[in-house]
Amino acid sequence: MSLHHSLLAVLLAAPLLAPAAQAQPKGLLETVKRHSVLGSTVADNGDQNPYALVVAPVSAGTIQKDDVLITNFNNAGNLQGVGSTIMRFTPATRKMALFAKIPRTLAGCPGGVGLTTAMTMLSSGWVIVGSTPSKDGTTATRGDGCLIVLDANGNVASVLAGPTINGPWGNMATIDRGTTATIFVSMAGFDIGAPEEDSPVVEKSTVLRLDLSIAPGRPPAVTKQTVIASGFGAQADKDVFLVGPTGLALAPDNSVLYVSDAIGNRITAIADPATRADSAGTGTEVTKDGMLKRPLAITLAPNGHLLVMNGLNGQVVELDPKTGQQIYARWIDPNRAQNPPGSGDLFGIAMTPAGDGFYFVMDEVNMLALAK
Amino acid sequence: MPFSALSRASCHAFGRGALLLGVSLLAHQAAAQTAASAPPAPPSPASGDQAGEPGQWTGWLKRDTLLGDAWGIRTKLGNYGINIGLTDANEVFGNVTGGMRKGWVGEGLTMLTVGLDTDKAFGWEGGKFNISAMNIRGRSLSQWYIGNLQTNSGIAATPTTRLWEIWFQQSFFNDKFDIRLGQQSIDQEFMTSEGSAYFLNTMMGWPMFPSANLYAGGPAYPLSSLGVRLRAKPGGGFTILGGVFQDNPPGGPFDDDGQLRGSTRWGGNFNLRTGALVIGEVQYAVNQPEDGQMDTPGTRRGLPGTYKLGFWYDSAGFPNQRYDAAGISLASPYSTGVANLQRPNFSFYGVVDQTVWQPADSSDPRAIGVFARAMGGPGNVNLISYSLNTGVTFKGFIPGRDDDVFGIGYGLANVSYGARGLDQDMRYFSGTPMPIRASESFVEVTYQAAVTPWWVVQPDFQYVWTPAGGVINPYNPAKRIGNAAIFGVRSTITF
Repeated sequence: MSLHHSLLAVLLAAPLLAPAAQAQPKGLLETVKRHSVLGSTVADNGDQNPYALVVAPVSAGTIQKDDVLITNFNNAGNLQGVGSTIMRFTPATRKMALFAKIPRTLAGCPGGVGLTTAMTMLSSGWVIVGSTPSKDGTTATRGDGCLIVLDANGNVASVLAGPTINGPWGNMATIDRGTTATIFVSMAGFDIGAPEEDSPVVEKSTVLRLDLSIAPGRPPAVTKQTVIASGFGAQADKDVFLVGPTGLALAPDNSVLYVSDAIGNRITAIADPATRADSAGTGTEVTKDGMLKRPLAITLAPNGHLLVMNGLNGQVVELDPKTGQQIYARWIDPNRAQNPPGSGDLFGIAMTPAGDGFYFVMDEVNMLALAK
Repeated sequence: MPFSALSRASCHAFGRGALLLGVSLLAHQAAAQTAASAPPAPPSPASGDQAGEPGQWTGWLKRDTLLGDAWGIRTKLGNYGINIGLTDANEVFGNVTGGMRKGWVGEGLTMLTVGLDTDKAFGWEGGKFNISAMNIRGRSLSQWYIGNLQTNSGIAATPTTRLWEIWFQQSFFNDKFDIRLGQQSIDQEFMTSEGSAYFLNTMMGWPMFPSANLYAGGPAYPLSSLGVRLRAKPGGGFTILGGVFQDNPPGGPFDDDGQLRGSTRWGGNFNLRTGALVIGEVQYAVNQPEDGQMDTPGTRRGLPGTYKLGFWYDSAGFPNQRYDAAGISLASPYSTGVANLQRPNFSFYGVVDQTVWQPADSSDPRAIGVFARAMGGPGNVNLISYSLNTGVTFKGFIPGRDDDVFGIGYGLANVSYGARGLDQDMRYFSGTPMPIRASESFVEVTYQAAVTPWWVVQPDFQYVWTPAGGVINPYNPAKRIGNAAIFGVRSTITF
């Protein structure tokens, strides 16, 4: 075919191709068909305010593969930083059950137990969950907290604590190699005092990398720890306990760790998170403001986009972390009882195993929901 | 061995590198793992760290209910899908000038609500059962001291203890549609205004038009009726409400609709013998996101508002305000004195709630809103031919008081031409210069102060012009009832 004919063919085909190109979704959120409320996350001891969401990668103990684990941050009296239960939702049966009830006071966990958005489950069956505890529901009585290792039956196996662990807060990112693993946790507790009317922002929050070895029959042991990011702002808050770096998500090749900087209202990127030996500071800014309204938990969708839960409205924002482009946002909790709608309702997020939707929590009604 | 004990053993196992911080506990776990073949004992609950653990009263000033979990009772009931609400409102009101006479009253309302989530209780998805009961006490300032139509307090009613609502609601299609069956008080869902609900005058709740014109004021607080209500949310910001209810809660004649009539006294009158009240309402929410709605960068949403249009139709016979069955004025000595019963009765209404200002910073909770609610119906069979509520509210009016609301409202009730005609006839046949009723209006200034989330204190001022439209003062027949200035304060505690 001559060049002339080739050009003609392209020109003729263009109108036919154009509609098909336009029909391609720009992202995941527009493909979601509906939001379904799956069940109450309130534990039988009254614990409430669901935060972390983790989809089980394997079946182990009482956990079935694809189960959803959910932490409760509040107790029956709705005091924050006092919740100590983890719920387990089984999609196949649509049943919610208690997975773990951790003692409120635990040796080696300074300040007690108040389970946060920091949680992961390893393919070896171990569950690691963060605690940022309080005695009175505020940061006035906050303890440094810890990371708690549970077996797959919900029993406490060990506790990780120390000077680098202070207010483990945001959703974890995990590299799981079976016998070894690397987890990333944001620490938002450093020097956070009691909540005031206008609490100071303390720029001491970090992202801690923990390299773990997992021997058969033994809980994960830390082989190395490195602060790979630091200087994020955090602030005590009379309504939401504290505001600090909350969401972590790894690029598919683990070359970048994305961090939601709630105080800075932005997403930043930490290069070489799995290998770097020093702190990248707050990293490189990916995107700021726009549709972000206090970004909390984040996750990476199969299309490489980040899904970011907003704390100050009921939206999840989809953005391309490579370009920094905010694509659009979807209202998944437009509850008009809050202003703006859904403000304070969202927190955790986790992709479905098939990657065709995501689980999220509706804090105001203590419900687990699925957008798919 | 508790991990904390291990941590003190050695703190130099690893820790190389400039940023390998805080190694002590972690290092020791690693060291312990390599040194021991048996798994370490799990950490035990720390007996020495129990001090200061939260109890029943920890954080009580900041929670939504005074009793919180109520020593675990709410949690235990919640495990069976049962939730309990208990509120207690008490108020003092007095008129310092005008009205029939000066005086002060105290009133109170205690409300108990029990809800059952059928999914939680026995696995029936989408079902809710609700039952409520109340104790009403004290006496009405308007009834005893002022004599106005638009009574000053929405909780004032004939004292009694009675069941209120008993209904079951089932939702379908992911809550897009639901149906409610049973004994219902329709003021909870129909004709509601978010803005007017901050005020204390009765007519800022259930409006003047149905209060004055329906049998016993209609199935509204403190009464209720059997009926069925449908609600659909088709999208696009629309909500459609429709229902059919028994129109006469006590079941008596129009001029004998006492709230204590028979079993109405305790709420056990499930009357189905009188007329049917058919009511429908279309609601349209503007600038309010819908579930699943997509926004793109740069999307700017205007100020939120809600607009409602509705109607009701009552199949019962309603007494003509002026004439008997022979068309003779009820004021005439030749009249039977029995008003002609005409049917049907109906009304159209509209409600507007619109935010007119809020700060650009979305985390700033302040907002100014306006509201208006108007309705009317035929003037021959209704005492009030139209009524209006309107006003403005300012949330966060005082800096630092985010949850307080300041409001100024206005209410108007217009006496119908039928009732005015009767006044003219009375004047004619009696030969005395009796007043001709016109309209009654009031202004209310209120401040709702959230002392704690569970305790609201609300000082209130109302001024009423031409009470009852301008009628003779029974305590001083030489004069009409004078314009009244009312002061009061209400305290509401949610347990």
